[in-house]
Amino acid sequence: MAFSDIQEQLRAIREEAEAQLQKVGDKPALDALKLKLLGKKGDLTALLRSMGQLLPEERPQAGQMINAVREELTGKLEEFDAKLRKLEQERKLEREAIDVTETRKRTPMGCIHPISLVQEELMRVFTSMGFDVVEGPEVELDLYNFELLNVPKNHPARDAQDTFYIEDSILLRSQTSPVQARTMLTKKPPIRIICPGRVYRADEVDATHSPVFHQMEGLVIDEDVTMADLKGTLDAFAKALYGEDVTTRFRPSFFPFTEPSAEVDLTCVNCHGKGCRVCKGTGWIEVLGAGMVNPKVLEMCGIDSKRYRGFAFGLGMERIAMLRYGITDMRLLYENDVRFLSQFRDD
Amino acid sequence: MKVPYGWMRQYTEIPVTAGELADRMVMHGTGVEGVEDQREAVQNVVVGKILTVRKHENSDHMVVCAVDVGEAEPLQIVTGAPNVHEGDLVPVAKVGAVLPGGVSIKKSKLRGVDSYGMCCSGPELGVPEALYPSVGDKGLLVFAEPHEPGEDVRPILGIDDAVLDFEILANRPDCLSVWGVAREAAATLGTSFKKPDIEVKTVPGKIADYVTIDVRDSTLCPRYCARVVKNVKIGPSPMWMRKALHAAGVRPINNIVDITNYVMLETGHPMHAFDLAKVRDAHIIVRRANEGETIVTLDGKERQLTPSMLMIADQQNATGIAGVMGGEESEITEGTATVLFEIAAFDRTSIRLTTRALGLRTEASGRYERGVCAATCREAADRACQLVNLLGAGEVIEDVYDCYPNPKPVPVIEASVERICKLIGIDVPGEEMARILTSLDMQASLSGDTLTVTPPAYREDMEQEADVAEEVLRIYGYDHIGSTLLRGETAPGVRSERIRIADKVAQILTAKGFSEIRTFSFISPRLIDKLSLAPDDARRDALRLINPLGEDTSVMRSTLAPSMLSTLALNQSRNNDAALLYEIGPAFQNHGRKAGELPHERPMLCVGAYGEAADFYFLRDAILEMLARFGVAAEVVPGGEPYHHPGRAATLTVKGEAIGTVGELHPDVMAAFELSRRPLIAEVDLERLAALRTRMEHVRELPRFPAVTRDLALVMDEKTTVGSVLAVLRRAGRPLLDEAEMFDIYRGAQLLPGKKSVAFSLSFRHPDRTLSDEEVKPVIDRMLSECEKQCGAKLRL
Repeated sequence: MAFSDIQEQLRAIREEAEAQLQKVGDKPALDALKLKLLGKKGDLTALLRSMGQLLPEERPQAGQMINAVREELTGKLEEFDAKLRKLEQERKLEREAIDVTETRKRTPMGCIHPISLVQEELMRVFTSMGFDVVEGPEVELDLYNFELLNVPKNHPARDAQDTFYIEDSILLRSQTSPVQARTMLTKKPPIRIICPGRVYRADEVDATHSPVFHQMEGLVIDEDVTMADLKGTLDAFAKALYGEDVTTRFRPSFFPFTEPSAEVDLTCVNCHGKGCRVCKGTGWIEVLGAGMVNPKVLEMCGIDSKRYRGFAFGLGMERIAMLRYGITDMRLLYENDVRFLSQFRDD
Repeated sequence: MKVPYGWMRQYTEIPVTAGELADRMVMHGTGVEGVEDQREAVQNVVVGKILTVRKHENSDHMVVCAVDVGEAEPLQIVTGAPNVHEGDLVPVAKVGAVLPGGVSIKKSKLRGVDSYGMCCSGPELGVPEALYPSVGDKGLLVFAEPHEPGEDVRPILGIDDAVLDFEILANRPDCLSVWGVAREAAATLGTSFKKPDIEVKTVPGKIADYVTIDVRDSTLCPRYCARVVKNVKIGPSPMWMRKALHAAGVRPINNIVDITNYVMLETGHPMHAFDLAKVRDAHIIVRRANEGETIVTLDGKERQLTPSMLMIADQQNATGIAGVMGGEESEITEGTATVLFEIAAFDRTSIRLTTRALGLRTEASGRYERGVCAATCREAADRACQLVNLLGAGEVIEDVYDCYPNPKPVPVIEASVERICKLIGIDVPGEEMARILTSLDMQASLSGDTLTVTPPAYREDMEQEADVAEEVLRIYGYDHIGSTLLRGETAPGVRSERIRIADKVAQILTAKGFSEIRTFSFISPRLIDKLSLAPDDARRDALRLINPLGEDTSVMRSTLAPSMLSTLALNQSRNNDAALLYEIGPAFQNHGRKAGELPHERPMLCVGAYGEAADFYFLRDAILEMLARFGVAAEVVPGGEPYHHPGRAATLTVKGEAIGTVGELHPDVMAAFELSRRPLIAEVDLERLAALRTRMEHVRELPRFPAVTRDLALVMDEKTTVGSVLAVLRRAGRPLLDEAEMFDIYRGAQLLPGKKSVAFSLSFRHPDRTLSDEEVKPVIDRMLSECEKQCGAKLRL
C-alpha cells in the first residue's frame, strides 16, 4: 500500500461519512455510523492498522492525517448527536403539552365575615392612632350600661334603646359604652380606647334593624382634650377609611353620656358629596354619634372632672358594612348563606 | 312633631323659606325630618262658578257643565257628582292641575264628550270635613262664601302653608311646642322671638262656687291649675285655628276641644277640658289609685291599677288616669255649658311607669313622660282663656285654682369662659357667649372670666357648665369647630388578648377554607333540646331573657352548636354544595350563677362543615393543625358529645383535660335540625387555648446524618386504634426512632375477618453518626414485640 492509497481511502471515508450522516434520522443509526467509522472494527481503525505497509518515514505523517480525520468526524458526529437530542427533547415537550385552560376542583380560602372586616379596618385605623382595643361582657349590669352613663332608672332616654333584661339589674348591653365605664373605673387617665362589640336592642328584624348588632365606641380622657381633637380624630378616621376627600360634619345632638353632643356626618362615600340615593340628596351620611364626656359621667366613674376632660364617639358597624359593600338588607349579615359570605375579601 | 310654618312666623320673624329654615335649624340643634309644602300637593285648582248644567247624551249619571274659572271662555267639564247646581262655587282642577297623591289632571273624553278639567270633592283635595265643612265624599265641595271665579282655592281651604316635621331631642321637651321651636328659630337666625301678650277678660266668680279640687299627692302632681268658663257656646272654631290644627296633624272638633289642642301644640302643655255639669258632686280629686282598684278606659277595657299610678277621681271612683287618659263621663259635648280647664304637671317617671304597665299611650302621656314644666302651667291656662275670649266661646271666671306648693328652684350656673373655650376648642368671647345665652331666653351676665347664667324654668336640662358650653357652641355653630390632632403618646394601641387569639384562629381557618359566620347570640331553648344533651347537662340551663322578642330568641346560647347546625341547615336547604364554616363567640354559662351575678362568657370556637371534602379526618386535622399553630399538641380520644355519631367522634385533650370535640353529627340530631347531608361539627374552648398556648422556642438544628427508614405492616383487630399502636411504637422506639406515621390501611380477603393491616413508616436517626442496619434491627424487634404484647398487633408476613 502506498501513501497515496491512504490519502485516497481517507478521502473516501470522509465522503462516505458525509453521505451517511445525511441519512441518519435517529440515535441508533447515529451510533451505528459511529461504530462503522470510529469503532474498534471501524474503517479508520482498519486504515490505521494498514499503516504497517507504509515506509517507516511515511508513517508519522499518515498517522497524523488519519487522526485529524478521526477528530473531524468525531466532532461532526457529536455535533449531530447534540442536534438529535435537542430535536428529541422538543418532541418530548410537545407530547407533554397540556391544556392550561382546563378546570379542576378548587379549594378556595375561606372568607371573613363583613362585620369582622369592618371591625378589623376600624381597629387598624384606631390602634395606629394609639387607641387600645378593650372588650367587656355582653350580659351587663344596669349600673355600667345606664346608671354610670347618666341614664338613671326610668329616664326617658332608656326608651330610645329598648333593652332586653335578664334580671332587674342585669341586661343585655344596649351599647358598648359600659366598657368605657368599666375602663374609667379601673384605669387612670390618660385613657385612649376603642370598644368594639355586640349590642342588643329590642328591635324586630327587618331590612335595616336587627335585635343583635355591632357597635364600636371610642373614648379619650386626658388633661387638655378639646372638641377640636374629637373632630380631628374623626376626620383622620374618615380619611383613613374612605379616602382623603372625605370629611366630617358635626350637628348638635343629645346623648346623656356627652355634653356637648354631636351627630357626625361623613361626606357621602357613594357620591362624594354630590348628592345621591344613598345620602338622600344631601351629600352627607349620618355615621357616628359623638361628644365631650359629660362631667357627671367622669365624676361618677371616679375621674376628677376639673382636671380631666374627654371625648367619646360611637358607630354602628352594620351601617359601615352596608355602606361599604352596598348591602341593602341587614338580614343577609346574619343568615350566613355561603354564596353571600364567599364574596368578601379584605382590601 | 309637625309645626305649620305660618304658626311659627306669628312669633318669630323668619326671613327665609321653610326649607332654608329647616337646613339652618338642623345645624343648630333642632332636627327636621322633612318639610311638606301643602301648596305642592294641590296646584292649579281654582274657584269655578257653575254656569249651566246639561244632561250627558251617553250617560244617565253624568252631567256636562259650563264652568266660569275667571277666563275669557267658560270650561266644559263632565262630572258624575250628584250635587251639581247652577250658580254654585266649586273647586275646579284645571288641565295641568296636581291633586294629592300626585294625581295630575289632563284633558279627557268621558263617554264621547270632551272635559277640560275636574270639579273636586273635599277628600279629592285632601280637605276633610273638619277643616272645611261641606258634603265630604258625597259630592262636590261647595264654597259657602262668595269668591271670584279663578281664585286660588288653597288659601280658602286652609291648605297653603308649609309644615316642618321637627325631630326634638330627648333633653328638650320644651321644644315640643310652637313657641319652643319658634324661639329656637329666632336664636338660630339671629332674629327675635315674641310671645303673644296674654290678657284674659274675666267675669267675677269664685272657683269654689263651681268645683272642689283636692290634690292629694303633690309629689306625683307638683302643680294643678284650673280655670272655669261659663256660658259656653259650643261651635266650630274659626278657620285660622282649624287650619293650624289640621296642618299640625290634629283633627278639629269644636271650639273648646280645639282650644285645648291648640294650646297644647303652642305651649307644650297638655290640657284637659271637663264638662263640669258631668263631674259628680262637682268634686275633682287627684290621688293615687287604691290597691286593687280598676278603671274602664275610653277604649272600653277594664284596667288593673296600682298605688304608683295617679288618678283623677270623684268621691266614688277614678274617672281618668292623670296625664294619660280622661274620663268619658265628663267629655265636652254639644250641650256643654260650663267647662273646667285642667293644666297640670305630673311626675314623668310615674306617667312613664303607668303607660308601660297599662300599655296605654296618648299624645298627653308622651309629653308628660318627656317632661312638662310646672312653672309655666299658669301661662298656658291663661292662654287658653285668652283664646276663649278671642273665639267668643264663653265667659272666663276671674278666680283661678292653682295648687303649686313646692315651686322648683331655678339653678344659677357659674361657668368659666376659658374652660368653655378649652372644652369646645374655639375661642368665643365672653360677650358673645352672653349674647347667645340671652337669645335663648336665659339671664346671662359676664364678670371677668365668669358667666353667671340663670336659665328659664322650662329649660330643665340646664344644670352645669357643660350645658352652657353646648348652648353656646350650637348657636355659635358646630361648623366653627377646628380639626386638631391628639397630643401625647404616639405608640400604637394594643388589641385585647381575646381579639388577638380570634384573629389568629381566623387566619388559620380561612387558610384551610373555612368562612366566618355571625349568628344571633340568643336562640330558642328548643334548639338546645334538639342536641339531646343529658338531662343534667349544664348547657340545658341557659340564661333566659325577661322580655324576649319571641320564644325563638329567648335564651342566651350556652353553646354555639345550635346556631351552627341551623346555619348548615339553611345552606343545605338552599342547595349549596358545600359549606365550611366557623363562628367565634361567647357561650353564656348560666348554670350555678347566683341572682345578681353576671354569667361567665366563655369564648368558644365552633366549626361546622358538610360537602365532598368534609370528612371526620379533614375536620379533626384542621383543628389539630390550628391548635398546633398555638403550640398546643392535643391528644385524640375516642368519643365526643351526645349529639355526635357515637363511633365517629373524638375529644381533643391536653394533659387529660378536654379542650374541644370533633365529630360527625348523630342521625337523630340531623333529623331534628332538618339536615339532609351529614355534617361535621367541632368546638374548641378558646379560654383554655389562651391558657395553654406557648411561645415558640428556639429552632432545632437540622440533622447532619441521614435517617434509616423502614416500613412495617402490622395486622391487628379492627377495634385496636391506630393511635394506641403508634403510641406503643413511639415509646418502644426511643431514643433512635425519629418519626413514626401511619400511611396505609388494608382490609380484605387476605386477612382474617375482623382484622386490618396497618402500614407504618418509621425513620431512625442518630444525632452524631450514620446508623447501621445492625443498630436499627434490635430496636425494631423491640417495637414489634411491644406491639404484640400491648396491642395484639403482629407483623404481617
